Amino acid sequence: MKGSPQTKARASRLSEHRRPALQNPFQEFQSYSFLTKNIPLDRIVQSTEAVMDQIRLGYEKLLEEEAKELVWMVQYNTIIKAYEVAERYVREIDYSAEDIEDFCFALENTQKIPYLIPGPAGLYISALCNYAKEEEIVLKLSELKTEINLLGFRLTKGKRLLIEGDGGDFTGIGLEGGDLVVEGNAKNWTGAGMRSGKILVKKNIGLHTGEWMMGGEIHVGGRVRGLGNIVEGKVFEREKMVFPGKVRHPNMYY
Amino acid sequence: MKEKQPKALMDSIWPRVRRKHLFPEIPVPKMAEPVEGTEIEAAPKEGVGLEMKGKQMTIHTAFLTQLKGKMSDEDAMEALLDHGVTHYTFCPWDFYTYLMLYAESKRIMTDKDLAKQVANHFIDVVSDTHCVKKKKTEIPQLYRHLTKGVIEETMVSLYQEIWGMDLGCPPSGKRKKAREAVIRRLTRIPYLDRTRWPESIQRFARSIKPLLLEQQEEEKGGTGKGENNPLGEHDLNHYSHEEIEQGLRDYARKSMALPEFREVVEDLADELKEAGYSMEGGMGRGRGSPLDADVLFYMKLAESYSLPVRKTIVEKRGSLHPHSHSPWEVGSPYHDVDVWTSFGKIMPGITQVWKKREGKGRGKVEGVPDCLIAVDSSGSMINPRKILSYAVLGAACAADAYLRNDSRVAVYNFSDAPMGGKEVLDYTKKREMIYRSLCKYFGGGTALDLEDLIPLVQSRKNLDLFVITDMKITNLETLIGYFAQINNRITAVHIGENPYSSRFEKAAENKKNISLFAVKRKEDIPNIVLGKIKEYFRETF
Repeated sequence: MKGSPQTKARASRLSEHRRPALQNPFQEFQSYSFLTKNIPLDRIVQSTEAVMDQIRLGYEKLLEEEAKELVWMVQYNTIIKAYEVAERYVREIDYSAEDIEDFCFALENTQKIPYLIPGPAGLYISALCNYAKEEEIVLKLSELKTEINLLGFRLTKGKRLLIEGDGGDFTGIGLEGGDLVVEGNAKNWTGAGMRSGKILVKKNIGLHTGEWMMGGEIHVGGRVRGLGNIVEGKVFEREKMVFPGKVRHPNMYY
Repeated sequence: MKEKQPKALMDSIWPRVRRKHLFPEIPVPKMAEPVEGTEIEAAPKEGVGLEMKGKQMTIHTAFLTQLKGKMSDEDAMEALLDHGVTHYTFCPWDFYTYLMLYAESKRIMTDKDLAKQVANHFIDVVSDTHCVKKKKTEIPQLYRHLTKGVIEETMVSLYQEIWGMDLGCPPSGKRKKAREAVIRRLTRIPYLDRTRWPESIQRFARSIKPLLLEQQEEEKGGTGKGENNPLGEHDLNHYSHEEIEQGLRDYARKSMALPEFREVVEDLADELKEAGYSMEGGMGRGRGSPLDADVLFYMKLAESYSLPVRKTIVEKRGSLHPHSHSPWEVGSPYHDVDVWTSFGKIMPGITQVWKKREGKGRGKVEGVPDCLIAVDSSGSMINPRKILSYAVLGAACAADAYLRNDSRVAVYNFSDAPMGGKEVLDYTKKREMIYRSLCKYFGGGTALDLEDLIPLVQSRKNLDLFVITDMKITNLETLIGYFAQINNRITAVHIGENPYSSRFEKAAENKKNISLFAVKRKEDIPNIVLGKIKEYFRETF
């Protein structure tokens, strides 16, 4: 019968037979298999990101609690309180010395961290250094555009913190037996209130150096602009002891 | 079993490599035989295995010979090809990416040679890691057998960590601890995340900076010149003229910062010249006048803004028609491809495009007239050679639009014109001269001299005028009076509101051929000029 399904099928087969075989232009890819291996880099990057997120979160919480108005005054009690808050968050994170360095640079990236307030940032970094697993921490901060204050706060005995770059104000204050090395300059109030340990600033240091320091040593490779009211301890300028000794007037320019 | 000849080996490997990398448009790689009379054994170090010029890769057989006994010719060749092809297909991909990576590296390294080295190492790490992750490749084996200097050893140690393979490079040497610290930092970088490459290369540069400085010191001390990268140096030879043009255009547009652009172009000026790049376009002209980075910045930025010019009735002009052929290059548009002379193929070296010219029509036809651009470079305007001047950019956009339509452009750059503070460039199509004139800065008072303008406008029936100024012109009344006399299309752009601009606005109110445009934010100039010109031409035509 005309137009029956069998006839149609036969006609279709015939026409297919006559038509030149069409080549699938993507045939080449038929046997192509995408090979995507998992390499250790994936895991390293993923875990690094996760740690960085935790560190960032801790810093944001610190700002929320301690610098609500985004203004932060450096006062004895505010420093102590902020450091305690920082300690609380830092203790819960498992990180390495490299994470601390990455965090320092992330601070300058406004897309990741909205606010860089040098005081709380320095305290938070100090807490990270003090609670790090490593005994020696090297922070390569010479390319950092911002000077961070309060680095090396309460650096404990047995810890060595090496800063490649400059330190801001209040570097190494309240040092508790640690060994702090600043490859560049340090600003005012360095080593204020330190109890023990050693601070080495390879270049110059600012005013009020060692204000109310109770012990330990400050070595300066360059010039000391001014000493603070030192209670006890030693200060060296280019290997020459300037305190105790023939003290030039505290807080006076040399 | 008889070993295959290198050429035959290439013929059997290349289709496999192409397929593996999803058929990139790259010509068949060449084999380079060692020059007769040179002893391979005499060379203590491995030579360069792979060279890349334009899209052409060349593999040196001497390099394969040196690897004999360590790995098969086939594996070595495939690894070299994988490495080379990944540069085209993943990193750096294009010239803009190379420029961006170089610029970011320079921020950290400050020295241009070191910045180039960092960019090269970073590009190699990214492309090789991509290849190892996504393809079946012998690249790790190649690295296992390469002779290594301090930096190369560090890179291989890095590969061991991030690829999870033993490449026979245990940390050693007198500065083992320092090197381990560098490797620890390097392993943390997200190399395969393209969006983070600017930040990643900075981290990379910060980490290997001490090693590179150490190596630089050793080289200064005569302890030996840095070895050539056996996998080929990454330089401007990789790119065609079109790709360089596009890269510069993208970099100018994305950075929008004259000092950054200037620094990069000046650093790469020698290489750009060696590659035959000139501002007027065209390759292979050899060493000509030095590249003016500032002029080039405005030129490339203007090319990024496509300013449409509405045609008007002109005499002895016609529309564009195909005039001659030129070779098509990767990155060029397809719409002008001549399918007949290209044999229906899109492939560099085969495909040809039509170069169009505006022909002479019979009588009055539609066309784009010539343009006189008057640009104010008085003290109240920004010096275009210091920071990005939106006034000059606006003028540059207008110049580009007319030049693209094969019209000629004259420039009247004025400050205190009656006292000699002016530059007059007659009608020309020489792009570089036009941009040089636009970029000239006098920084004096603001006065126009009609005696300069009149000869440029007179006896030209079809002429557009484009004036860009802050309107603080001392003889503004004279200019208004002159504009009232002529019937040419005039686009006047002024910056900010001031009594002078209000006076001009009032005077131009009844003149249909004058379109005045005021901008409060200088940054708006390029965009608003585009729209306004469209609107203006629509009204008048």
